[in-house]
Amino acid sequence: MTSGISSLKVGVSGVRGIVGESLTPALVASFAASFGAYVGGGGRVVVGRDTRPSGPMIEDAVVAGLLAAGCQPISLGTAPTPTIQMMVLKTRAKGGIAITASHNPESWNALKFIGGDGVFLNHNEAAELLDIYNQPDIDYVREEDVRSSRMICDAFDEHKRRVFRGIDVELVRSAGFTVAVDCCSGAGALFAKGFLEELGCRVLTLFDNTDGRFGRKPEPVPANLGKLVELVKRSSCDVGFAQDPDADRLVMVDECGEPVGEQYSVVLATEHVLSKTPGPVVVNLATTRAIDDVAAKYGAPVFHSKIGEINVVEEMRARGAVIGGEGGSGGIIWPSAHLCRDSFSGMALVLEMLAERKKKLSEIIASIPRYFTANRKVERSNLGAIEAVRRLRDKHAGQNLETLDGVRIDWPGKWVLVRPSNTEPVVRITAEAGTRKEADSLADEFAAELEN
Amino acid sequence: MRFLRLGIAGMRGEVGTGINPLLAMDYAAALGTMVDGGTVVVGTDTRFSSPMFARAVRAALASCGCDVVDTGILPAPAVQFLVSRLGASAGLLVGAGHHPAGWNAVVPLSASGAYLNEAGTQTLLDIYHSRRFTHRPWDGIGGVNQAGQADIDAYMDTLCGLFDTDAISKAGFKVIADFCNGSGSKLGASFAERCGVELIILNDDLTGNLPHDPEPRPRSAAQARTLLHHLEANVAFVFNSDMSRASVVTNTGDTLSEEYTFPLAVRRVVARGDASVVVTNTCTTKTLDLVVEELGAKVEKTKVGQAPVVDCMLDIKAGAAGDGSGSFAMSKGAPAFDGFLAMGMVLESMAVEGATSSELADSLPKFHIVKKKVYCPSSHAYTLLRRLGDHFPDAELSDLDGFRFEWEDGWVHLRAAMTEPIIRMIVEWRTREEAEEMASNIRGLVERLVVS
Repeated sequence: MTSGISSLKVGVSGVRGIVGESLTPALVASFAASFGAYVGGGGRVVVGRDTRPSGPMIEDAVVAGLLAAGCQPISLGTAPTPTIQMMVLKTRAKGGIAITASHNPESWNALKFIGGDGVFLNHNEAAELLDIYNQPDIDYVREEDVRSSRMICDAFDEHKRRVFRGIDVELVRSAGFTVAVDCCSGAGALFAKGFLEELGCRVLTLFDNTDGRFGRKPEPVPANLGKLVELVKRSSCDVGFAQDPDADRLVMVDECGEPVGEQYSVVLATEHVLSKTPGPVVVNLATTRAIDDVAAKYGAPVFHSKIGEINVVEEMRARGAVIGGEGGSGGIIWPSAHLCRDSFSGMALVLEMLAERKKKLSEIIASIPRYFTANRKVERSNLGAIEAVRRLRDKHAGQNLETLDGVRIDWPGKWVLVRPSNTEPVVRITAEAGTRKEADSLADEFAAELEN
Repeated sequence: MRFLRLGIAGMRGEVGTGINPLLAMDYAAALGTMVDGGTVVVGTDTRFSSPMFARAVRAALASCGCDVVDTGILPAPAVQFLVSRLGASAGLLVGAGHHPAGWNAVVPLSASGAYLNEAGTQTLLDIYHSRRFTHRPWDGIGGVNQAGQADIDAYMDTLCGLFDTDAISKAGFKVIADFCNGSGSKLGASFAERCGVELIILNDDLTGNLPHDPEPRPRSAAQARTLLHHLEANVAFVFNSDMSRASVVTNTGDTLSEEYTFPLAVRRVVARGDASVVVTNTCTTKTLDLVVEELGAKVEKTKVGQAPVVDCMLDIKAGAAGDGSGSFAMSKGAPAFDGFLAMGMVLESMAVEGATSSELADSLPKFHIVKKKVYCPSSHAYTLLRRLGDHFPDAELSDLDGFRFEWEDGWVHLRAAMTEPIIRMIVEWRTREEAEEMASNIRGLVERLVVS
């Protein structure tokens, strides 16, 4: 898959690689030690992981590295990424490390670095961390200063508390929904059922094993949700939810068994949140125009950010956003719980909306303008990807260009975004139009342009 | 000067400035590569940094496909016993043993549980220096399991089967054991119960604090000696932090040199016919030779260190082995220097012979040992020492490890230290005066050679 191209990606999203090939325990420990030095030796650092089989091995390496920097690691064991972020706040830690390659296949793993404010490091902070990593002489802790590590086993309680405090739990309970949830054999499998049951749902689970053998492809896109669609139809569920392996992303299937599409997760959450608390909305550049339509209905401004969770989060902070997220990845960020992508917040918001409006999910979706997106990837090295995007920018210089992140070209009724991936050695193309056919052909047109 | 040592006794050093988790990880990855993904038993002593190193080596071994059996804090000889009992391919000890506070070590074990021999060490170091490790992909990573209580009981059964527990029990001894807050404390109570002795345990705090210099020596025995007097105990034993070495305090409060632990223990083994050959290194007290030969057994000499001594014992099927650092092993026990075994055998001696500990000590033929360091900044210490031979044409020379010159009434051993620019000198003669005089003569000779 990566012949000739390094599978190691070190960037703003953390350190990501193929286990045993580019992601070795020594590399992981070395980065963890650098992170420990970055946040300050002696500080607490929260560590959690998704269910990947390489997780315990990577966690050992991370803990060793943090101890070597004089930190006190607090292990959560298997935990959703948003839980880890929230626990950084709860334990007043100096930072956190989430061990997860998110939606990547089992062969990958990654470290994601979280600051003391519970959100991921931004571009500048990541650069400072990398600077420490690359110093030739790193001081490791001496015997008398080695601290001990700690375990916390009930971290999800804090997560639940933060979500439920902004939700009318009694209202959702009284609705007594039947819900299917596909946990992608990920960290969500440990908590989703209990979480939904506390919301009064009858819960049917799918891919709820936690041995890290993913029962389906981990990206929660409609093509990978066949089983969930079947289950929703067979058991007459009110809604079907699908998580990714670290339970930060969420996509939905409506009561007819129709996948709502990953773009519409944040759209639905926005529709609901704005109906109760109007305020600014922030989404990344790869998000559907449906968000603008919904926001316009409530008179709320929409701001765009670069791709990458931290970029959305920082823009949300700057704008005082009440809701935000990432269209292309099913990322819902609800500041009321925490400034992070969180599938649990998403599930709670959607269930509350259904309970309040007493409408079917398909009816709510029908009331929102429908767009179709198409995604393509073209393999390119880091440098090659940037070069390709530059050429494209020059070629289309006369058009309506947005170059905040890659190149986005807008036309009436459609847009395309071409950008180098932060996480994989590929160029990503996202195209949106009023029909599926149009979106596909727009995406294919630009993929072909890149291949030339 | 850096404080890192790599050799036949594993990787040792001062934590932070010498040994660190990254180096230990590479070292463990070399072992994992060498055994090609077999099972590896990992056990630790109580030093502050031991959990950190345990995490590091676990990650590296798992990454190389090795299933790890983690014993947690456990005496080194018990870990060594478990390697062969569990049919593992190798073992790894994490612990500083006799080294002062601030140090730690990672020691590789062969499939027999003994320290890796010279050939094994060479293979391991070649892989380590090449830094080419066979990391496995995500689905080939090893798992971590805990050792079971049954396995630990099996060690205690085997150990206590080596001495006459009935006789010891009948004698009704009151015994003091100073575990130096080390791993021995874990099994002290079990030992006492099986042998029917009243064991007063001193320094059994497992948090990593060292109550005194962990090297069992007369000066480390002050606490045990003080208590022994007040409690009127029959004998006291002082152990190092990983339970591989012991020294004895007699009922009259005599803090015996660690040199006498081995002769005291082995005399009983030879007397009851369990060893016709005894193995030791080239710088052990002459008392040992006299004790063993008096009973009609033979002494076989090897290089210095647990690896060559135990390896030779197993190789030539000798009954017992040990050295002047307070170490003792039996071929029927764990393939390891075992402090519990030394304690048990001395207690059996007292019980069977009906003698007090001071009577046993008094019955040993005694010499006087002088240990001195001579400053030698030259990197050619070996060549210098070889020229010493010209000055002692009447001595019997052995150059097995360093140089040993032997006369009728005494001997001198000179060896270049591996970590410091010094020559280690041991002189043993019948009387203190003779020993001091010889030491001062030789020191003068060496100093002249160094400046010439």
